[in-house]
Amino acid sequence: MNQFKFEGKLKMTFLVMMLIGVVSLAITFIGDDAVHSRFWSNILHNSVFFTGIAMLALFMLCAKITAFSGWHTVFKRVWESYSLFLVVGLVLMLIVAVGLWGHWHHLYHWNDAEAVANDPILQGKSGFLNKGWYTFGTIAIMGVWILIAGRIRSLSKQEDQSGDSSFSYHRKMRIWAAAGLPILGFTSAAMIWQWVMSVDAHWYSTLFAWYNAASMMVAMVALTIICLIYLKSKGYLTQLNQEHLHDLGKYMFAFSIFWTYLWFSQYMLIWYGNIGEETIYFKERLDNYRFLFFLNLGINFFLPFFVLMRNDTKRKYGTLIFTSIFLILGHWLDFFLMLKPGILHTTQEALAHSGAVEHAGHAFTAGFSLPGFLEFGTMIGFLGLFLYAFFFNLSRANLVPTRDPYLMESVHHHV
Amino acid sequence: MSAAPVSPIREPLVTGSKTYHQITEDLCAPTERAPSPAWVIAFIVALIALTIGVVSILYTIWVGIGSWNLNRTIGWGWDITNFVWWIGIGHAGTLISAILLLFRQKWRTGVNRAAEAMTIFAVICAALFPGIHVGRIWVVFFFFPYPNTRGPLWPNFNSPLLWDLFAISTYFTVSLLFWYTGLVPDFATVRDRAKGIRRKLYDLLSFGWTGNAKHWQRWESLSLVLAGLATPLVLSVHTIVSFDFATSVIPGWHTTIFPPYFVAGAIFSGFAMVQTLMVITRKVLRLEDYITIGHIESMNKVILLTGTIVGVAYLTELFVAWYSGYVYEQFAFFNRALGPYWWSYFGMMACNVLSPQVFWFKKIRRSVTWTFIMSIFVNIGMWFERFVIIATTLARDYLPSSWSFYVPTIVEIGIFVGTLGIFFTFYLLFTRVAPVVAIAEIKHILKSSGDQFARKNAEPVVQQVESGSLESTVVEHHDDEH
Repeated sequence: MNQFKFEGKLKMTFLVMMLIGVVSLAITFIGDDAVHSRFWSNILHNSVFFTGIAMLALFMLCAKITAFSGWHTVFKRVWESYSLFLVVGLVLMLIVAVGLWGHWHHLYHWNDAEAVANDPILQGKSGFLNKGWYTFGTIAIMGVWILIAGRIRSLSKQEDQSGDSSFSYHRKMRIWAAAGLPILGFTSAAMIWQWVMSVDAHWYSTLFAWYNAASMMVAMVALTIICLIYLKSKGYLTQLNQEHLHDLGKYMFAFSIFWTYLWFSQYMLIWYGNIGEETIYFKERLDNYRFLFFLNLGINFFLPFFVLMRNDTKRKYGTLIFTSIFLILGHWLDFFLMLKPGILHTTQEALAHSGAVEHAGHAFTAGFSLPGFLEFGTMIGFLGLFLYAFFFNLSRANLVPTRDPYLMESVHHHV
Repeated sequence: MSAAPVSPIREPLVTGSKTYHQITEDLCAPTERAPSPAWVIAFIVALIALTIGVVSILYTIWVGIGSWNLNRTIGWGWDITNFVWWIGIGHAGTLISAILLLFRQKWRTGVNRAAEAMTIFAVICAALFPGIHVGRIWVVFFFFPYPNTRGPLWPNFNSPLLWDLFAISTYFTVSLLFWYTGLVPDFATVRDRAKGIRRKLYDLLSFGWTGNAKHWQRWESLSLVLAGLATPLVLSVHTIVSFDFATSVIPGWHTTIFPPYFVAGAIFSGFAMVQTLMVITRKVLRLEDYITIGHIESMNKVILLTGTIVGVAYLTELFVAWYSGYVYEQFAFFNRALGPYWWSYFGMMACNVLSPQVFWFKKIRRSVTWTFIMSIFVNIGMWFERFVIIATTLARDYLPSSWSFYVPTIVEIGIFVGTLGIFFTFYLLFTRVAPVVAIAEIKHILKSSGDQFARKNAEPVVQQVESGSLESTVVEHHDDEH
């Protein structure tokens, strides 16, 4: 069984998940405030999260190819298929971008012309924070990502057909992958600043982009583990075994610690410097999102740290799946916590300004203070979309790359 | 036991069809023959440099910090620049040993021993500076939090300078243990070939190693445990060095990207110094079969990677300084690029970000001459980086009335030359007493990565690629219970 069959029941599951998402979004839209901030912030949140997973899968693939990595070869088609989700991600991010032009939403403070007119700091940033750059950056940069992902995928598929032992496809792939690393390194930062950091338009942190990438990376590895175990349970990927999962478990452990390292570096330096313009970010979250703030650390650091510390937990399906599910959820919450407070603030300003309601202050706000059923429903919808695209792409090539020059090493992998 | 398949894409890591015995001969030989004239000349030069350093340090202690050109605005100059530079260099060794061991990178075996040794010598050079830069060296014990007779007076536990003390001493200890643990079986090999007093000495150094199975088993678990401990330490040391700057509220220092960016820069500079040393060592000690062009190429790739990461960080800082809308932050970076020290900023950018880009070309990556020249460039560039961060930033503070300029005195330059002397003296001695390449570890990879086995190991891979059938990929696995 080297061809994955994407069949009725599984397709149906993902379609139902997407339906749950659509219904959640519809309910959110109807019950929302005047500027539909809950609806739009949920779209942005999930679009960024799943696009990020696809982007990090591409990054991982480029790193693996460049570093002559062999062990991941049996399941490299999974990461290839993840990276192809970037096409869907582009559409999702464009919906947000078009919303900027049509003023459908108030996700970004800097897109409010009146606010900018009275705010010298926003004026100073307007060369970067404007809808033109947002749209152009999204299209151009994601376009380049999609190009790299597409080239690597197509070379990988061609290699399956060729059977040439001079490994010419592999050489070409290496050129794309090596070029991909610095391109992704530079451009991902630019996109993260615009998509995520600029919801708190005044605030800045140089570490922010790397912190985001680490968060996406953990979620990506966690999702990979779940999908691999699923495929194996269905009788696919017979060559994949505990050795590969053990190494993925190590990645999940190591990147969780790396994420914590960046979390701590950012928090500690801002706390220590005690400059109001910077501390406001954490003050807001500690005052009004206290539970989520600590939950974030609990799930994303303490849980993997203690569960995955031992050798054997990285080799058992049960503990791996348990940790993976929590980590996907945990990093989804991390993005929730990065996006929602800033958006709520912008929304309240917009609402107060239009005279619709009084400035709400810090009262509990559904969908902002804590994620509710509608947020989880939306997430399930996006996850369904991601998995649908993933399994669809997975079914369009050999599951195991039969002529990859590293395949035999990967099959014999032993940690 | 037949070796596992190895893809023919991989280069052999041991060339010259070596047998186990030849490996022992080749790697022990430098410790057994009389030093070459080149070694003697190099050693004399290193000793002269060391002497200059000792004299300069003694002069500093005698006269006081007034013998340096620091002033009330620029309180840190070459002292802390050199400190950070040396600490950075001390990163490659433990990185190669620990992280590459965890990542199962076989090419580390050619260079790990020398890189670990280099780490230890570099950390010694670095540790010198905090000690002398306080001026009154006789109260340097104030650094240490010990139950004291000073009443309630303790070091400030909230200060990253104190964290530095813990970080560096921990790092030094673990690096030393790691290096020495690796040396034990090799010392035993040297002992078994030696006679008389040499034999006694190496017997002592090798802790009576007999090479029985239990020894190897414990040795391997200890190596893994130390690797696991050393990996977070590689990150923590330079992270804490970066805190020395980033916890302040000085524009240009207070920025959150400092911790990971310092770590990347440290690995970058460390690998450059490894290249500088290895290119010479492999030639002088005739180790080209163990430190191959493939090893050099791999290290050049790491240099290209980390140089580019540092480049991303530089541009991030520059961009966010503009983006912040914070006028002091903007001025700090304007001043770095176009202020009185503009040349050091451009030196830094040219050496660290632009020049490693030549390693995109395979020809240059595999050229020994280019590698040597580029490694010197990076060493210079990373020194400039620290100078830019320290002197440039301090030279222009909030009050224009206290703006100033700094050039080092001959004493400060003498101390720097002296640390180079210490470093090379130790390194040269090391090449005489210990095998520069880890004998046991090279033997361990011979069957998988020796050139005479390459064709045989690649056979299953070639068959697989040509047939494209998955039948041969079904391997018996003893899956754990789950």
